[in-house]
Amino acid sequence: MSRKLTVVLLAMLVLVGAMGLKTVVVTHGDGSLVMANGSAPLPPTPWKNGSAPLPPTPWKNGSAPLSAKLG
Amino acid sequence: MLGAFEYVVWFLGALLELTVVVCSIAKGSFRRYLAINVYMLAASFVNIVRFKILFTYGFRSSEYGYFYYYSDLLLTIGLYFALMGLYSYVFEEMGAEQYVRFGALLLLLGTAGFSFAIVQQSSSRIMGHYVLDSRIMGHLVLEASQNLYFVGLVLTYVLWGAMLKLRETRTRLIQLVLALGLYFSVFAASYALRNLSTSLNGVWPYLIPISGCLLPLAWAYAFWRIPEDARIVPSRLAVVPR
Repeated sequence: MSRKLTVVLLAMLVLVGAMGLKTVVVTHGDGSLVMANGSAPLPPTPWKNGSAPLPPTPWKNGSAPLSAKLG
Repeated sequence: MLGAFEYVVWFLGALLELTVVVCSIAKGSFRRYLAINVYMLAASFVNIVRFKILFTYGFRSSEYGYFYYYSDLLLTIGLYFALMGLYSYVFEEMGAEQYVRFGALLLLLGTAGFSFAIVQQSSSRIMGHYVLDSRIMGHLVLEASQNLYFVGLVLTYVLWGAMLKLRETRTRLIQLVLALGLYFSVFAASYALRNLSTSLNGVWPYLIPISGCLLPLAWAYAFWRIPEDARIVPSRLAVVPR
């Protein structure tokens, strides 16, 4: 049992370390991607639809308070 | 548009991936290093399909983009399992294979959960509520692929530390792990340098695709030139105080 708990602890430590490293790297990055799978050319991400600014969300109707749920 | 250089390096990379499998079969190591060989076979197959999609739809098409990033996640998972296979070989004499498998699965699920949490958080912040559309699925795939890359990077260094501590002597295993460490490190270093220095912007379009050929080249060398029973003196790897 203690061995399994040790494995869980090590896995969590590695996960925290890796995510911390990623956060440090990406925060200071230019927004490009780190890909490590072969030599194929990296395409632009298809779900970033151009450079147009994001529109305001249509379901936030001004500063009016939200109505209470019915029913 | 892609030039002749990109096509040549891409083709070379795909060829080297197949060479790893051929060398492994020729030396009778296919089953012993099954995860590595399956990963290399999958990478070759994905490259062929990428070629096909690129020529049919074009480089900037969404078909190529979607296939590239979705297949990249699958390949990163494959590379992760190849790395876990190396962990199993290092710890096989300690009888810790089941713990390695358990830890690998736990870490993979943890990474997937973490990626999902990040995407869910950012999408609900932008959209006001959470909707699983293709754009968010794309972000999830990209996020998981990136996170798994960093997990792989950290795990490779941890494995190398464990090998030094255990005084691992199997030359081929050392070569395979060091090649993987070099591969991850080159991408991380080039990413860091790209952000630190803009004066080298002309170099990266050439360096990064060439880096993609490093791993299959080093692994093909390891299978072809280094016999399974070759041993290296641990003192040549690190100075250990007596």
